[in-house]
Amino acid sequence: MIRDVTLGQFMPGKGVIHRMDPRVKIVLLIAFIVFIFCTFNFFALGVCTAAIITAIVLSDVPFKMYLKSLKVIIVIILITSLLNIFYGTGDPIFQLGFLKITLAGVYRAIFVSVRIVCLILISSCLTFTTSPTDLTDAIERLMKPLKVFHIKVHEIAMMMTIALRFVPTLLEETDKIMSAQKARGADMESGGMIKKIKAMTPVLIPLFVSAFRRAYELAVAMECRCYRGGDGRTRMKTLHMKPLDFGCVGFAAAVLAGIILCNIFLPAVI
Amino acid sequence: MSFITAENLRFSYDDENRNVLDGVSLKVEKGEFVALLGHNGCGKSTVSKMLNAMLLPDEGVVMVDKMITSDEEMTFEIRRNVGLVLQNPDNQLVASVIEEDVAFGPENLGIEPSEIRKRVDDALRTVGMYEYRTHAPHKLSGGQKQRVAIAGILAMQPSCVVFDEPTAMLDPSGREEVMNTIAALKAKGITVVLITHYMNEAVQADRVIVMNSGRVLIEGKPDEVFSKVSLLKKHSLDVPQATELAYKLVGAGVHCDKMPLTTEECVGFLEEVLGK
Repeated sequence: MIRDVTLGQFMPGKGVIHRMDPRVKIVLLIAFIVFIFCTFNFFALGVCTAAIITAIVLSDVPFKMYLKSLKVIIVIILITSLLNIFYGTGDPIFQLGFLKITLAGVYRAIFVSVRIVCLILISSCLTFTTSPTDLTDAIERLMKPLKVFHIKVHEIAMMMTIALRFVPTLLEETDKIMSAQKARGADMESGGMIKKIKAMTPVLIPLFVSAFRRAYELAVAMECRCYRGGDGRTRMKTLHMKPLDFGCVGFAAAVLAGIILCNIFLPAVI
Repeated sequence: MSFITAENLRFSYDDENRNVLDGVSLKVEKGEFVALLGHNGCGKSTVSKMLNAMLLPDEGVVMVDKMITSDEEMTFEIRRNVGLVLQNPDNQLVASVIEEDVAFGPENLGIEPSEIRKRVDDALRTVGMYEYRTHAPHKLSGGQKQRVAIAGILAMQPSCVVFDEPTAMLDPSGREEVMNTIAALKAKGITVVLITHYMNEAVQADRVIVMNSGRVLIEGKPDEVFSKVSLLKKHSLDVPQATELAYKLVGAGVHCDKMPLTTEECVGFLEEVLGK
């Protein structure tokens, strides 16, 4: 059934990562992405990977879910590593015409693959453990300083919240309209791609009309509840940094220190 | 002075020449439960939107608790005081979590977080949806969604709630849930204005106002209003089923002192008639 679609990849749970402040999670995600690209040898990358694996273990999300998210980008990993294999310099270990594979190339390929895998894993870790509502909320709070540049942070966050709220409602509606049109003999399954897309018109038009009507009614309802934009608005949920969050920030700092030390004191492989 | 007074309201929408409201005057006392009836297009919904300054009359004055709705500085105070619950519960809920949706109103009013928490919990308990506070709205039934919408209004602590056909899109059990909630609000001393098509809901009110083509046709206690069956019929308005039955029996020569309004009263009436 179309309405069973879960939005985003959020997996409810009570793991360590679930309990973290979403703001801290977002900031640390960005930090880790930077870390991943600041590793210049296998030791540093190893430290970074170990830290990410720790996060995954703590996240209390089945590892199968992470594998699923990796499956999507497997082609990208293969292509980039293939390209990198042939771009190494130095003595070839295998040569076929102008194609030559060097040890440095192989190292580089492994390095790049591990980086991409790490990137996906740590991003998934955020989306698996944070509900879309919390994410929007955290983004709103983190972006608050941008108000200085007259960016309407609250309005953007409000739009995201409403969009998230109405995805299931509109999915359900699409389902109903499709059934109604099928009942009148609309054919949506047969034919090629173009024909199928054309067959969607009688679904999309009523859906749009209804979405606009909903938007109007929602605006009335919001005004009735004294909505007047972000000014003078308070929030029920206040986010506080807990010891857990400070611990995680400390952990990230330790990882950073480890990466820097490895970069400086251990030999560069590539 | 009454809590809400509307005097001689006239109003027309831009794209229509006809006056939707053509001299409506009504009063609502504090703590009263008033039902507003009338068939489609008679101007009931327009009146409801005027009570909380969503619409302003072309002519006439609406006063809410000594505040005039056309005074822009008072708009938010009036809207906080007079909540409006609309027909479609789906289009009134803003957030993807029940408690966050209920918090939307008080958040807009700029209330302290701890106080919002308290109000949200209270409001959800009043409508009996406290256990569902962390659920997503789309997983609830129509009646439950409408109760959440009511809680969203209650969290602003209004002294009056206007319901614009809150049960029109619900199934019978959902309708009953909402009517029970309305009764709970009335018991709390909140003024209720209920616009409805269902006569058995109107019967529960303290006072009934019947509108017809932009005017008040009759108003009074439910038994007074519904005893004027022929007048209501003339304007193609319904009466409760019990009253309808009694009316037809009277037409067939049965004697009736007092028109029954509810099923129970009708049973009593029939027993009396058959017993003779």
